Amino acid sequence: MSVNQPRRTEFRVVVVGAGIVGLYTAYHLARAGAGPIAVVDRGFLSCGASGRNGGGVRQQWENPAMVRLAREAVHSYRRFGHEFGYNIWFRQGGYLFIADGPAEWERLRVVHRVVSSEGLPCRLLRPEELSRHVPGLNPGKAVGGTFLESDGTLFPFPAVWGVYEAVRRLGVEVLNFAEVSEVQREEGRVTGVVTSRGRLAAPAVVNAAGGWSADLARRAGLTVPNQATRHEILATEPLKPFLDPMVIRLRDGLYFSQTMRGEIVGGLTVPHPVGTGAGMPSSPQFLRAMAAALVDLLPFLAPLGVLRAWSGFYDDTPDGFPVIGEDPRLRGFFHANGFGGHGFMLAPASTRRVAQSVLGEKVDLDPAQFAPGRLLEAHEPLAREALQPG
Amino acid sequence: MEERNPAQWRFGRRRMHSGPGETLLSALLGKGLPLLQRSIRLHRPRAPYCGVGDCTQCLVRVNGVPNVRACRYVPSPGDTVRTENSWPSPSYDLLGILDSLFRNGVDTLHGFRRPSWAAPLFHSVVRRLAGYGRRPEPVGVPTVPRGRSRKTPFLVVGAGPAGRQAASRLRKEGADVLLLDRDPIGDPPEGVQALASHEALFLPPPAGPQARYALLAAAPDGAAVTIAAERVILAPGAYDTSLWFPGNDRPGVMTAEGAWRFSGERDRPPFRRAVVFGGGERAGMLLDRFGTQVEAVVSPGAIDPDLVHRATALDIPLYPRTMIVEGRGRRRISSVRLASRGSGGKFSVRADAILLAHRRYPNAQLFFQAGASMRWRGSAAAYYPELGPTMETSVPGLFAAGEAAGFPDGVAAEGSGIAAAEAALGREAPVDRLPGRVAAEGRSEMEGYYRELLAFLGPHPKVVACACEDVLLSEIQTAHARGYAGIEVIKRYTGVGTGLCQGRYCLPEALLVLSILEARPPPEIGYITQRPPVRPVALGTLAGMELASAAPEVA
Repeated sequence: MSVNQPRRTEFRVVVVGAGIVGLYTAYHLARAGAGPIAVVDRGFLSCGASGRNGGGVRQQWENPAMVRLAREAVHSYRRFGHEFGYNIWFRQGGYLFIADGPAEWERLRVVHRVVSSEGLPCRLLRPEELSRHVPGLNPGKAVGGTFLESDGTLFPFPAVWGVYEAVRRLGVEVLNFAEVSEVQREEGRVTGVVTSRGRLAAPAVVNAAGGWSADLARRAGLTVPNQATRHEILATEPLKPFLDPMVIRLRDGLYFSQTMRGEIVGGLTVPHPVGTGAGMPSSPQFLRAMAAALVDLLPFLAPLGVLRAWSGFYDDTPDGFPVIGEDPRLRGFFHANGFGGHGFMLAPASTRRVAQSVLGEKVDLDPAQFAPGRLLEAHEPLAREALQPG
Repeated sequence: MEERNPAQWRFGRRRMHSGPGETLLSALLGKGLPLLQRSIRLHRPRAPYCGVGDCTQCLVRVNGVPNVRACRYVPSPGDTVRTENSWPSPSYDLLGILDSLFRNGVDTLHGFRRPSWAAPLFHSVVRRLAGYGRRPEPVGVPTVPRGRSRKTPFLVVGAGPAGRQAASRLRKEGADVLLLDRDPIGDPPEGVQALASHEALFLPPPAGPQARYALLAAAPDGAAVTIAAERVILAPGAYDTSLWFPGNDRPGVMTAEGAWRFSGERDRPPFRRAVVFGGGERAGMLLDRFGTQVEAVVSPGAIDPDLVHRATALDIPLYPRTMIVEGRGRRRISSVRLASRGSGGKFSVRADAILLAHRRYPNAQLFFQAGASMRWRGSAAAYYPELGPTMETSVPGLFAAGEAAGFPDGVAAEGSGIAAAEAALGREAPVDRLPGRVAAEGRSEMEGYYRELLAFLGPHPKVVACACEDVLLSEIQTAHARGYAGIEVIKRYTGVGTGLCQGRYCLPEALLVLSILEARPPPEIGYITQRPPVRPVALGTLAGMELASAAPEVA
């Protein structure tokens, strides 16, 4: 991570963004022997959403392609310690979704049907069954929920360190504090990027810039519908374990879990579509709303101290699905973005498809669902993935 | 001490009583320095350290609520107080064996990976070891105290010498002033509204150039108080930093402030013979207070002539340019190993306490939160708000005064308070004409000190860098050796700075040590974004916050 100059300036692929998505993409590319690869990032390692998320990994989705992607990611994260030498403490304590009204309940029933048909043992819960998973829970107006035990939470930082060290061992050049000012193009093809630490030539550029992906696309002369939305999150003082699953209440997008360190970490999925220029401040409004929601669901937490709050960017798309693949308007410009707050949980699986796309291989998982083109030529409103929070 | 109406309560099986307004810790200190805590990962014995509610070494469980700071809590009749995270007690804790088993710290990053079938077992065991207290089981239905809001043209945070002077000057000029402090405000300046025992927690940047400030504070009754102000003067003062050496977390090591507070209410210091570390005015104050109970004065650099004079009069030995290289003892410091800087000559002093009075670090959190630009001032090795041309920070309407603004000495601090008030009134009060500001240039004695100490200690010293999270110096060294650099990344790699003290007792030292390891000046190591709140605050307090009238709208 030292701020030295790159050893070379010509690469086969330049990945922009050294978060988990960018690093994992480089990992798959390097393992496939793609040639010289560089990963560049505007800040320090883990300064973006990869160092700011709640560490949730779930397989409960309304769309089967998402379920498959997530199931594969769960499989990879279970093996992470063996593969990368870092313990990410992937703890499969389950995800508990709570519905407070008939519309939410109907949505969870659909999710239950889809997830079950993919072969995962998702369970529909009656209100009185909720507190079996969360002791002390105030069911309030809950009408039911779903629970999938193989969902879980992990500690994001070691995952970043593990993949970072692995790609460096594979010869990938990782340049931090190198902001991309321009994606260069010639005759409809990418030729390289200009960074604050010099120009890097490459016939392929991967946009894995997370919340900054629309900014980067603009620097390649492209308009994309991705929108950076700020989300806030907080952590409490650490306690002995009492909460196993990640809990999500659909009504207000409340999500929280207890980390391996004992802190309750969570937020509210209430997007502030502000763009990246607004920075990442915390707000008293969030602190109040989040505290009120937590105390409403778990009243005994009222005396527990909030230790810190922070915020980060989701990279949202109009239909809530990620964008994976080559941009139809610019050859050599590949998207690995639009994860809408689910980049970390899907990274091991989604980035394999990015690598396949960069290498010109057949993408082996419903490419149309995630193809960049769908957002550009949409004639009718897109079917939206309904399960966004958490 | 007033002994009318003593509160009766229980500490474990013991019946206790305390005087009106007396803290829980003060009552427990009657029998000497109590062991209330085992550390979070290694179960090392820990005793009260800071005395001001910031460290994690006096946490107890009161009426079913975990993580209550005994040094800040005033017991009510009938309270039930217990210790946590130790079995059977903090004095004899079976898990204390972890400290000997994990000589280089618990490596949760690389350890516990194999065999993979054992993952659920590892998760279960390691999870149980984490966390301080068990989940809250509050007596009765917990209530969300209803928040309040206030408005004032001028808000002064901190009622030390600078804050009092600022408030008093503003008042003399006919302005309405609110003076807030986390401690009781004795004899507030005439005409000034005092908000005593209110904890300032969060000062977001104002929404626009004309917008008001909205400070979030917690009242003694647990209610959130939002204070809208047109102009804010921050004079939050400074605190005694920690010191890194093997055994630096042993019971008996405490800050100068802690030593005062622990002996204050009962007027009986919790030690017999102490080593004072520091060579300036603050060490001199400890000498005045504790006299012959000071066994030796050890200073990282030269010793002030005035301090030499005072120590000689008391026949106390002085060791200038000397390092503390180990604090020995099992459950309590029993001797202190010293080494001369330069020559490296080693010797020991028998002592049961080490009082840290070598360095103060500004309480800069609110400045960071408000978005004021901060500058490293080399002679103090600390970040201070950038000022100029008056006492106004880079954020319009936000002013700085006192020790946190770089005016540590009492008289200079008072002068800076008056100047801040003048500036807040829109008058000319040039900061560069004020005497007593810490120099921006130069280097702190502690930079060279740590360089020599690291060389002296060798590769795997068992120095507790972060006592809240039990992060060892060797873990920081390992992270560095693996190529991780900069304080933000080291924080995320090791966990240093993420504990309950919000990094107060590890980050100032971590900056200096990293600058040595990385061979870069400290400002290049960076600083950690100071995240709200300034101190942990109950979810119930936040949930009851009143926002509509006071807070700026955040997009």
